[in-house]
Amino acid sequence: MMKTLADFPAFVLRRPAALLGLALLLVQAAAILFAPLLATHSPIEANPLASLQPPSAEHWLGTDVSGMDIYSRIIFATRINLLISVIAVAVAFVIGVPVGLVVGYRRGWASTLVMRIFDFIQSFPVFVLGMALVSVMGQEIWNVAIVLAILFTPIFARLVRAEALSLRDRPFIAAARCSGATDAAIMFRHILPNALGSSIVQVSISIGMAILLTAGLSFIGAGVRMPIPEWGLMVSTGSQQMILGIWWVALFPGLAIVFSVLSFALMADAARDYLDPRGERSR
Amino acid sequence: MTLSDTWRKLPRPLRIVLGRLPMVIPQMFGVIFVTFMLARLLPGDPALLMLGNMATEESIANLRAQLGLDGTLWQQFAHYMLQVLHGDLGISLFTSNPVATDLMERAPATLELVFYSMLLTVLIAVTVSVVAVVRPRGVADYFSRVYGLAAGAIPDFWVGLLLIFLFFSTLGIAAAPFGRIDPLVTPPPAVTGFYTFDSLIAGDLSAFRSSAGRLVLPVITLTIVNAGALMKMTKTTFAEIWRSDFIRHQRASGLPSRWLVRNALRNSLPPIITLVGFLVGFLLGAAVLVETIFSWGGLGQYAVQAVTYSDYPALQGFVLVAAVFILVVYLVVDILYELADPRIET
Repeated sequence: MMKTLADFPAFVLRRPAALLGLALLLVQAAAILFAPLLATHSPIEANPLASLQPPSAEHWLGTDVSGMDIYSRIIFATRINLLISVIAVAVAFVIGVPVGLVVGYRRGWASTLVMRIFDFIQSFPVFVLGMALVSVMGQEIWNVAIVLAILFTPIFARLVRAEALSLRDRPFIAAARCSGATDAAIMFRHILPNALGSSIVQVSISIGMAILLTAGLSFIGAGVRMPIPEWGLMVSTGSQQMILGIWWVALFPGLAIVFSVLSFALMADAARDYLDPRGERSR
Repeated sequence: MTLSDTWRKLPRPLRIVLGRLPMVIPQMFGVIFVTFMLARLLPGDPALLMLGNMATEESIANLRAQLGLDGTLWQQFAHYMLQVLHGDLGISLFTSNPVATDLMERAPATLELVFYSMLLTVLIAVTVSVVAVVRPRGVADYFSRVYGLAAGAIPDFWVGLLLIFLFFSTLGIAAAPFGRIDPLVTPPPAVTGFYTFDSLIAGDLSAFRSSAGRLVLPVITLTIVNAGALMKMTKTTFAEIWRSDFIRHQRASGLPSRWLVRNALRNSLPPIITLVGFLVGFLLGAAVLVETIFSWGGLGQYAVQAVTYSDYPALQGFVLVAAVFILVVYLVVDILYELADPRIET
């Protein structure tokens, strides 16, 4: 039984955890849309005279070693971090879902081969392969997104394939075939809508994962580069000062990562409970 | 006697191991292939990259031949595969040592870190989730819910920095985040490669104290980030078994609750084993970040250095070793899984 998307907002409003996730998402949306209005300083302008200042009325969250305003950088970084993560997951979804569908519906050597390739990709630790791919392809924003898409595609393909495998022998598929539906119609009109649930939940989880991976890559210098505002890179610039007791440079961008990832995790939880026919199992 | 009869006469553990072992071969092949393709993604000619712009035509041709770059793609892959199987991972451009030697030297540092982190993760995750299930609505139950959600959202490198700030810079009670052992303390002679074990073997208590102290913060960092996922899953699995008929029956028969917990835990073991194996792979990636923060000098820091200096042979070698390590872990996990679950036919 398909639940309609229209009921989802009402479902979210009834749950405090999901509501919190939604609120955090809205804050991020505001930061993305109104970044120039919300920021108090330029996110990329260095000011050597204002280096490493603690939070004050002038610099709400302090400044980093080159005197850039941390609050303004965090606001603008929302654009970069979410842009990379959302694009990466969208590409992985758009490629992974149809591939998983076809591979699950049509068994044969080609399907086996595709799954083996995914096995190979997934047999590497995610962060390690991501790091190697980005540094080999060149450390640019688009390459980070491409690499994340490569790493996430197998996840979606696998989820849809598992669903398609269990659906393909159901009576309603046989009925569709008897009534003359082509393979493509069976796959995309009959199997796909019933196979999407877990992937939709996975979208939200993956965006959170992508934010963490992007931040981690930038932290070790294999991702976005200065002076682009990016949360992981900002934590990285503060990592040396942390030992000296200067806490604000690394603390605040890290908090931004936590809240952002948390918002997507909470939404994923809500979506899972909403789509799970057994009801709110996790309670 | 037919082959299948002989097979069935073998003891079950041996059948499990022999059944799983051949799967390693195609997996290894795939891992080597992906690592090989990684180097092919490099823009430009690796030989030119290694020799620099001043290289002559002849020296480039020589190096290409030496690196096996002058054949077709398949010849090159065969060449690379042969090299890898002989334990030759190339020469690091940064340290000028064979990559294999570099990696061997640094592996124990990373393994020690991963070992203790995994130990603490399992201990905490299993204890908290068992208490949370046995005493619902208690402190452990509440804690595990909030923590299970939050832990997945916290970046490990950030946690490490916060711990350093709190316990080293501010409170001054933690060891300095600069390496595995105090520079004034001589490292113990290598037996296992683990400083904590080796110092005990050598009877060197000051080395033990120093190396154990240095482990505290990085291990706690990795545990905080990892325990959440394991806790969540252990709780779900354990709760399901805790409510099952056979536990209810045992309780009705008057078995002490300590036994009930033990029996329920024994039955939730297989999924826990699988996730632990998965987490080892995750830890290896996380170790890259955590080692950087704590100047750990292990594989992870070597990899970051390789990224920084575009040392591609070193990076390629690290990726390969990491993947092979994971393959071995998954192999062990699969075998343990089948051993732990007697219902699986072999």
